[in-house]
Amino acid sequence: MRNIWLILRREYLVRVRTKAFVLFTVLLPLLMGSAVLLPTKLAIHTSSTRRVAIVTSDAKLGAAVRGELEELRMSEEDDAARKLKSTPSTGQKADKPAFVVRVEDKPSDALKEQLSGELRDNKLDGFLWIAPDAMTSRKAVYYSRNGSDFVEANQVSRGLRIALSEQQLSARGVETAEAKKLLGPVDVDTVKVDKSGSNKSNGMGAFFLPFALLMMIYVTVLTYGLYVMRSVIEEKSSRVVEVLLGSVTPFELMAGKILGVAAVGLTQISIWMVAAAAMGAGAMAMVGDLMKDAHLEPAVKFLFPVYFLLGYLTYACLYAAIGAIVNSDEEAQQLQFPVTIPLIACMVVATSVIRDPNTQMAFWFSMFPLTSPIIMFVRTTVSMPPMWQIAVSISLSLVTLYGLVWLTSRIYRVGILMYGKRPTLPEILKWIRYT
Amino acid sequence: MAYTLELDRIRKTFDEFVAVDDLSFQIREGEIFGLLGPNGAGKTSSIRMMIGITMPDSGRILAFGEPLSRRTLERVGYLPEERGLYKKMSVLENLVFLACLKGLSPAESERRARHWLERLELGAWAKSKLEELSKGMQQKVQFIAAVLHEPGFMILDEPFSGLDPASSVVLKDVLLDLKKQGKTILFSTHRMDTVERLCDSICLVNHGRSVLEGNLREVKARYGRSSVQLEYEGELPLLKDPTLVSGSNDFGNYVELRLALGADPQRVLAEAMKSSTVRRFEVVEPSLEEIFIDTVEKTKVETNGAVAHA
Repeated sequence: MRNIWLILRREYLVRVRTKAFVLFTVLLPLLMGSAVLLPTKLAIHTSSTRRVAIVTSDAKLGAAVRGELEELRMSEEDDAARKLKSTPSTGQKADKPAFVVRVEDKPSDALKEQLSGELRDNKLDGFLWIAPDAMTSRKAVYYSRNGSDFVEANQVSRGLRIALSEQQLSARGVETAEAKKLLGPVDVDTVKVDKSGSNKSNGMGAFFLPFALLMMIYVTVLTYGLYVMRSVIEEKSSRVVEVLLGSVTPFELMAGKILGVAAVGLTQISIWMVAAAAMGAGAMAMVGDLMKDAHLEPAVKFLFPVYFLLGYLTYACLYAAIGAIVNSDEEAQQLQFPVTIPLIACMVVATSVIRDPNTQMAFWFSMFPLTSPIIMFVRTTVSMPPMWQIAVSISLSLVTLYGLVWLTSRIYRVGILMYGKRPTLPEILKWIRYT
Repeated sequence: MAYTLELDRIRKTFDEFVAVDDLSFQIREGEIFGLLGPNGAGKTSSIRMMIGITMPDSGRILAFGEPLSRRTLERVGYLPEERGLYKKMSVLENLVFLACLKGLSPAESERRARHWLERLELGAWAKSKLEELSKGMQQKVQFIAAVLHEPGFMILDEPFSGLDPASSVVLKDVLLDLKKQGKTILFSTHRMDTVERLCDSICLVNHGRSVLEGNLREVKARYGRSSVQLEYEGELPLLKDPTLVSGSNDFGNYVELRLALGADPQRVLAEAMKSSTVRRFEVVEPSLEEIFIDTVEKTKVETNGAVAHA
């Protein structure tokens, strides 16, 4: 025990003191955070009021489209941004208007030239060319400098559609006010129902928070697993292992190493948790209303370290075995890929698991020991699965872990003393059978 | 006479390959023992079994009169041929860590480490990372790691490699000092001059077998034939005369002749003077290097024959 402790302590102290640890501790949450926040913040803040011209011989239609567009506010212009800010669609009229619109009712080639010129000179952001037969063909052309701004084009198209529909409805005797009401937007709120009652949840937040947590557990399991592998290779290639084995057994060495790196990982996770708790209010303000709506069961806080440990230990064993088999980082590159496949598979299915955590696929992925630590954890962040499922997956994980420790320690104790040619699979099987 | 280490018919195979075959020798308490042999002869495999890293397939190893155990291994110090230290840790951290694994307290480990670093002129480097040290300095640190827990028995694999002459002298003095304290030391090396100067007994292994073993003086006496070192100008047709010379080794400045069985050195001198100007003529006991090369050559022929039969 003393030996395991000494090895654990060395492994821990050496890693915690590195710049890489400090960077990783600070950067990973920042990266996760910015990956979620940046696009939405950008969408909200970079846009400014757009100057648009509408060209149509039908002045009444032009005015109607203009009315529709000028009603739009900055806060409402971007569907995604609006949802993220989760402001009620009626509020915040104080925002800047999304569009400033002028109507041209004398379409001509010369006018087209002139507007194109204004567009090029940045005096105009776009113009909508409505052909005279628009009423029947329901077609128009929107010219802009940047053809890829689909949000803007979408809003213009929506304005035109509503204006056209209103005209046709009023032609059939429907009052304008009534037509407006009929064509008005429909809001669908998503509500998550779980044991603690129903919580109004916001679609975006409910997706991004589990996704961020998924990335956290994936990255930590993978990173710390690979730390173990590199540490084994380092000791093997520097021949430290020969000196150590004069004092400790291979099993003590492996156990101390894996536990030492685990301690580093838990330290890091603790720092994140304490930081998150300390920043609490501040972080919430920074994240905006995004996370407020993403409801997490309190148990998730405790499940994160549990599933991190299960996932990490499973992969640490596999990676330790690889480290013992190979002679260099280069050789390890080739071998680590097959082991990493289940982890990658987790990432592939994760998105659909977050959307629907109760599918057959989600169930089996959360039972299979090589994927369960990650997928089961992700499921708990979306909605708490039945207790028996969690119990079964953890039990399966533990049984597998026990087998892996046995298997790995047998490969390890032979492998760390073998230099030169990389062993073939039959040779490795022979190592396992050695007494 | 107490033995510090006894190997009794040790055998170790890796699949088809026999690394160590029927190897036996004893190391007396307080002596310096040389384990010699060409590359791939089974030296490292034998040493690994002596420090309990691997188990022999058959045979028995006794250290301090007992079978190997954690307790006996704590009294053994090991210096591997290649550096076996953590590059990213400081010199002192490396030493304290390894000494703690041998059962010392951290405080005691540090006290001894500092003492040894001073003694080997590395005091100023205690806080430096190992990778910042030269190869020779790393070798000294590695040596300290092997002796820090004051083992009764030290296994040193090529301890002088990478050391400059001044450091070699310091290390040699340390070794002789340790011997004076009654410690037993096993060297594994190809460097015959070191062995001749320091060792009391040797074992020469080749192809996993012991081919020559015993007290150094006895080994030389048993080898029987003496040699002649000859510095000359001119021709030496006598080198081709099998009744006088059984072999020769040209060192550039002089040539060393192995006398044929029963050849008289005086006759060699007379023959040499006939054809050349002799500057120096000296009858010497055979150097260990001569014996080493001769013995290895002989066993190579024998085992090649054996392979052909297999």
